[in-house]
Amino acid sequence: MSKHRNKLWYLLFVLPLFIIFATVVLIPFFIGIFYSFFEWDGFSANPMVYVGLDNYIELIDDGRFVNSAWLTLEFTILSLVLVNVLGLGFALLVTSAFKSANFARTMFFMPNLIGGLILGYIWQFIFSDGFRIIGDLTGNEEVFRNWLTDRDLAMYALVIVFSWQMAGYMMIIYIAGIQSIPGEVMEAAEIDGANYWQRLKNIVMPLLMPALTISLFLTLSFSFKIYDVNLSLTAGGPANSTELLAMHIYNEIFGYNNYGYGQAKAIIFFIVIAAITLVQVYMTKKREVEM
Amino acid sequence: MKLNKLFFTLFVAAMLVLAACGGDNGDDAESGVNEDGEVEQISVFQSKVEISEPLEELAEMYEEETGIEVDVWGTTGDDYLSQLQVRLNSNQGPSILTVQNVQVADQLDSYLYDLSDMSLADDIAPEMGLEYEDRLVGLPYGIEGFGLVYNKDLVDPEDITDYESFVQALQDFEDEGINGLTLSQEAYFLIGHISNYPFSLQDDYMGFIDQLNDGEVAMSETEEFQEFGQFMEAIREHTVNPLDVNYDRQVGDFVNGETAMIHQGNWVVSMLNDYDLDFEVGLMPFPLDGNDRQIVGVGGNWGVNGNKDQAEIDAAIDFLEWLHNSDVGQEYMVDEFNHVPGFTHIDADGLDPLAQEVLDASNSGDTIPWAHNYYPADIVPNDLAPATEEFFLDDSMSGEEFIERLDEVWEGATR
Repeated sequence: MSKHRNKLWYLLFVLPLFIIFATVVLIPFFIGIFYSFFEWDGFSANPMVYVGLDNYIELIDDGRFVNSAWLTLEFTILSLVLVNVLGLGFALLVTSAFKSANFARTMFFMPNLIGGLILGYIWQFIFSDGFRIIGDLTGNEEVFRNWLTDRDLAMYALVIVFSWQMAGYMMIIYIAGIQSIPGEVMEAAEIDGANYWQRLKNIVMPLLMPALTISLFLTLSFSFKIYDVNLSLTAGGPANSTELLAMHIYNEIFGYNNYGYGQAKAIIFFIVIAAITLVQVYMTKKREVEM
Repeated sequence: MKLNKLFFTLFVAAMLVLAACGGDNGDDAESGVNEDGEVEQISVFQSKVEISEPLEELAEMYEEETGIEVDVWGTTGDDYLSQLQVRLNSNQGPSILTVQNVQVADQLDSYLYDLSDMSLADDIAPEMGLEYEDRLVGLPYGIEGFGLVYNKDLVDPEDITDYESFVQALQDFEDEGINGLTLSQEAYFLIGHISNYPFSLQDDYMGFIDQLNDGEVAMSETEEFQEFGQFMEAIREHTVNPLDVNYDRQVGDFVNGETAMIHQGNWVVSMLNDYDLDFEVGLMPFPLDGNDRQIVGVGGNWGVNGNKDQAEIDAAIDFLEWLHNSDVGQEYMVDEFNHVPGFTHIDADGLDPLAQEVLDASNSGDTIPWAHNYYPADIVPNDLAPATEEFFLDDSMSGEEFIERLDEVWEGATR
């Protein structure tokens, strides 16, 4: 009797969430797979033509798609490193006992509270007008010019804004990890004569592996899927040099009205992200140590 | 047992709430028709920022007069079609929509209602109605023209008549520290409009575009395009980089007198009116290949969504008739929208100077047509703009190479 009842309670709590998850994630996902086998312009009154796997075959030769994939990879690697180095650095800084640690913690986290779109527009102003003014004033026009009209610098601008936004968030996760390290272990190491660097390398880092797993996973998936900052900061320009995959897929579907073809790209995109993040979680999980 | 009952009630309640949330999926979820078949509300979704405020005022007047609520939805323009698509697909489409051109009419074909029977149809200025497969599917917003909008204190149109004099003028302005001509970074202002001229100067621009789509001709092998490449090279050499300039700054610098000419259309007047201009403005033809004819066309068309109840379609048509036939509607169209009416029965007195030039040109009949309405759909933002950005970023790319690049992306877009 009681077992039966437990099951029902379980259902009661899970079902509403499951229904929401299904309507906004699962069902659209399967509909998306279905659409990817059709040639269709996205207007429900216009005909859908079944083309089998043609959409998938076609995208192998799609230079713009491949190029966009490489750009996304470049962006992800750069921001993965920068976000986590900064996040870990901030975390170590604010957990060491210095006076305004709490204030610093708030400040580092603040950018994350601003939405990506607004953030992009703010930085668009800094990188274009702001940098131009600094360049005029200091005469250092090699560095301080409009970064958003330079094909390489525009990508770095995107990485900087994304890191500025995400580093604070990762900092929180690292702080939680650092604070869960028992004080006696650190104290014992200190009495044994380990210096700061040795403690960091041999005690803090191994015990931080669970936090690292989470942080890497989040940064990987966030930066692969980035759209909002991309849209508001560069809108894919100049000359498509920052058109990352999420934006490329949007443009394929709504810009070119190739609904089915764009869906096929989205499915491939999903498979790649899933594969990469799963491999990453598996690898870092293996290095986690138990106390 | 008791708990079980409680649980069951809760569960049913939860399911009912969820079901109610999802139960609104009837065929016309957003229909403005009430149970008696009377229309209470129609909606207008349009793409011109400049006219959204006066249009809302008109909608209020219409509601006072007839009791029918007119809901005006706006958007910033560039993404109009994708927003329209989302609304149409979720059965929340507007009753009156904007059809930019014949390419869009092709996509929206299954939605567009045939307006041929409207009394207004006979009043449309010659060639200005949007027809698709022998049906009238759009009423013109208004006739528009673009070209070199110039500061009359700085520029004498007599001086700029062909390539040599154009380059000479840009050079002179550069020496004086004034910007000769500014484009701006938005896709249509960067390349969309200015790319019209070499097409429009062809004897049969539609035929030319068809051939281009089929790969039978190349822009790089056509004389007008070769010269257009040289024009673009001169613009890059003698003026500020348009990628650093947005629409606001382009107009702002023009108002300040820092820029002598901007490539814009008569719609720019609504923005110039926000400032106290201390000079007069004029609109002159772009002198490609010695061209001295204004380029005029229709920037958008009112279409009616045929997938609605007949009552709502009729109400939408009534509103369009009122908009074009009532005194206040006509007054707003000319004075507030700053539109050159595309109808013969509307008096266009007191137009602003740019619109007046468009109207004069249109009446004289000696004009060249807008070719970009016949470009493959969305090719300007998708393909031509990125290629043009490349050109403006890379000083080593010659005008000839630029035109070859345009050929390439055109082929890519029409594969």
